[in-house]
Amino acid sequence: MRPLTLSRLLVHCAILGAILFAVVVVALKLGAVPVSLYGLVRDLIRVALGQASQLSSEHQLIVFNIRLPRIFLSIFVGASLSVAGASFQALLRNPLADPYVLGISSGASVGAILALIIEPHLALAPAVAALFTPVGAFLGAALTVTAVYFLGRREGQIDSSTLLLAGIISASFLSAIIQFFMATLSGGNYHGMAYWMMGELSTPQQPIVSWILRVGFFIAAGAIYTTAADLNLLLAGEKEAMHLGVDIRRVRIVVYIAASLLTGLAVSVSGAIGYVGLLVPHVMRILFGSDHRILLPTAAFGGAIALVIADTLARTVVSPSELPVGAVTAVAGAPLFLYLLRRRLA
Amino acid sequence: MSSSARIPASGALRAVAESFPNTDVRLSVEQVSYAYSANPTQAPLFTLEATSFQARPGEIVAIVGPNACGKSTLLKLIAGALAPLSGRVLLNGFVTHALPPRERGQRIAMVQQESPLLFPSRAWEFVLQGRHPYSRKLRFESHDDVLIARNALAQVGAEHLSDRWMDQISGGEKQRVILARALTQQPLLLLLDVGAQVDLLETLRKLAAANRYTVVVVTHELNLAGQYADQVALFQKGKCLRVGPPSAVFQRELLEQVFQTPLTVELTSSGRPRVIVPSAK
Amino acid sequence: MLHRTNKRNRFAPRKTLLVPLLFAACCFPPAHAQTSTSNPPSSPVYKEFVDEAGRTVRVPQPVLRIVSLAPSLTETIYALGLQERLVGDTDFCDFPPDAQKKTKVGGGLNPSLEQIVALRPDLVLLAKSFNRIETLHALETLGIPSYGTEPHSVQEIISSTERLAGVLGVPDAGAALGVDLQRHLTDLQQRLSPFPPRRVLFIVWSDPLISIGKDTFIADAIRHAGATSIVDSSQDWPQMNLEEVVRLQPDFLVFASSHSASRTSDFDVLAERPGWQALDAVRNRRFAVISDAVNRPAPRIVAAIEDLARQLHPEAFAPRPEDEKEKKNAAAEPLVPASEVGSNAGDSASREACACAP
Repeated sequence: MRPLTLSRLLVHCAILGAILFAVVVVALKLGAVPVSLYGLVRDLIRVALGQASQLSSEHQLIVFNIRLPRIFLSIFVGASLSVAGASFQALLRNPLADPYVLGISSGASVGAILALIIEPHLALAPAVAALFTPVGAFLGAALTVTAVYFLGRREGQIDSSTLLLAGIISASFLSAIIQFFMATLSGGNYHGMAYWMMGELSTPQQPIVSWILRVGFFIAAGAIYTTAADLNLLLAGEKEAMHLGVDIRRVRIVVYIAASLLTGLAVSVSGAIGYVGLLVPHVMRILFGSDHRILLPTAAFGGAIALVIADTLARTVVSPSELPVGAVTAVAGAPLFLYLLRRRLA
Repeated sequence: MSSSARIPASGALRAVAESFPNTDVRLSVEQVSYAYSANPTQAPLFTLEATSFQARPGEIVAIVGPNACGKSTLLKLIAGALAPLSGRVLLNGFVTHALPPRERGQRIAMVQQESPLLFPSRAWEFVLQGRHPYSRKLRFESHDDVLIARNALAQVGAEHLSDRWMDQISGGEKQRVILARALTQQPLLLLLDVGAQVDLLETLRKLAAANRYTVVVVTHELNLAGQYADQVALFQKGKCLRVGPPSAVFQRELLEQVFQTPLTVELTSSGRPRVIVPSAK
Repeated sequence: MLHRTNKRNRFAPRKTLLVPLLFAACCFPPAHAQTSTSNPPSSPVYKEFVDEAGRTVRVPQPVLRIVSLAPSLTETIYALGLQERLVGDTDFCDFPPDAQKKTKVGGGLNPSLEQIVALRPDLVLLAKSFNRIETLHALETLGIPSYGTEPHSVQEIISSTERLAGVLGVPDAGAALGVDLQRHLTDLQQRLSPFPPRRVLFIVWSDPLISIGKDTFIADAIRHAGATSIVDSSQDWPQMNLEEVVRLQPDFLVFASSHSASRTSDFDVLAERPGWQALDAVRNRRFAVISDAVNRPAPRIVAAIEDLARQLHPEAFAPRPEDEKEKKNAAAEPLVPASEVGSNAGDSASREACACAP
């Protein structure tokens, strides 16, 4: 009998944090343009000391203006998707749930396509134009989340199976709309949209976007974490959870909104990167157990690590070309999924 | 208030209600009724007519009757999970339905048919969940919580199952573990809606006596009720026909009318009634 | 209910909050300086231009290092004689052959931003039909001047080339090229004016059947070649119903191909397919194959138009006295005739237009 304690949680998080740090350093080093480890460490120290102006500007631009923001994007998108995936698996009582099962990515895609179609007709300042697609995607996601919530209620409360059905139907409906719009897009836009939907992290985001992503992650993930113990009980049985003092209605709403927020933010900046939200929670369960008080933080770290690795592969494997990171996660994720499936059945 | 954290070496669990006087009525079901209809405009599909009974600490009340006569619904009303249409359920003076979930979890424990576990956990993890009504946000279980859980397993005779996975133990073993989880809630009231097995009721009687629980158990095993319960409530089609000690309730004409089958009632050596149904030809 | 609080746990909330706070602090590093890329020691001179996407671009003068993100733009740079200043292009930039030796920055849709930045370009050229708008936004965010082109007709290709020449600092070369291309087109129009235009189906992809929309530059090119596309769709790459095509009965089928060897095989494969025999053009083997230069909005398209015109209207090209003078001028032209194009490697040129085809 080894119950979870705070020190165990912190130790595991520290280990994962160290792994994440190492992965980030390696990712900073790799890329289409070679960077020496020595030069990298030297520059990192300089930045930390506030001597950013002394960096060689080309180095600075590539490493700090392109790679580092991209790595931070990967970290937060990966963490958001994993936490959202674990939360939806608990909320929907379904191990196959991923962040997109309720149609959020489809809604975001519709929003992004509409933004893409509308944007040329509006005379926007360049900075605003770059924001148009993420904002459009987020609005699409938010509307979908709201619609699915109202469709997924039963007797005024969120019901797991009704919610799942509502989500799947919405996703399917929205996919049809996406197909329709895609057929009307012109060449360049079509390719761009196809790329976006595969999930890619190569576009540098405006600072405000990445700031919102980070703040949103901490708020939403924090909110979900406060319900972590309740989620443990919910998964053991809904009726029993109620008798054990869980306010089921409140927990469901909080998790639904927070997990949708995490997914919506992630999808708005990176498209629909698959498999991370589905598989990282399962891997973390195998390593650390199903207690959500340790599962959620480790899933966040695990997702960050996985996506940084995937994105680094995406931009180095066919250098100087880049693969969309969603393709890398799919290629790696599908076999892993099969393996996990067999392991459960064995 | 007694110090509930001091765990005696013998391992006996002390319910917190130790501090309340023994002889007072603990559970009072007062004219509780319920109706359920699929549509607000239609006639109710199911009704539970006004029911009343009382129970003291250490008592076992058995609710018996044929299928679909309202037994489980009554249990949910007592647990405070459903709001009665009329009447009220009082536990030490508190209306159960009005209690906030946390308070309710500290007073009432329910043992039911278990839903299949999605992500299986170990037995000790499962039992430890019973401490949830006492935990504060963002805190982990304390050393005392762990001790209480361990003792609960010992009380139900399932200590050897502590490290086993919940989906790898037998049905009977699982029921014991579920009961252990209920005990870790340190409740005043134990409600059980399970098939009921002999050894389980035997354990319940010991526990109720030792820890002063009030136990309400729904069962379709008349003879188990007759042997172990202090009171029996007999139901038929949502109506409580009689409440009282087993000898008062197990009357041949009454039982034959309820269960629609000829039977005989005899007294065992311990003075408790036993129902014998002649085997079908 | 009594529950003795464990002394240890009393501090737990503070500890559990501390961890995410520390982590949060690491995740909001001090904003690194967003510098603009060009870092010449002397302050550069900038000129402002408006590109074809309506954006105002500040271009440093002179433009010495160019990165092209579309094959059509690479060709245009060579046609303007600026190939020495081209420091990087895409994997698909294969014409002229020398372009293949330039440093590659990746594909049109997914170029490596790092590689582009490492080449320290003064200007990056993009084509709306080949590149993504996100790439444009990304370059803007990094402060790298980028110029987008978006010609919708043959005339716009010519004027786009002239404008680009102005941006790159060689307006005279651009004007000369424009005049020359214009002359070819006018001459062609004169030859073709007595003859009614042929009705053609331009086949981008045969399964599913995809053609070109009426607002594309390819449709316009076909018009200049004395033909009209039977497809009347405002989409860029409309998918056609074979029944509809049969109803319209085009005079000719037109294919664009980079392999001379595959010229007839494209048609033969198509003719074998069920249903296609219902077309007169298929039964009578009336088809034209031109170079895939028609797919790129670059100066070379004019040669492809001429080639198509010759195949569709052979009667317009009966030898005339003024043709002798024509042939002498043709020898000095920078344009490469379509007939020699087919030997180039790869059908990558057609990818520019067809990358979307499933």
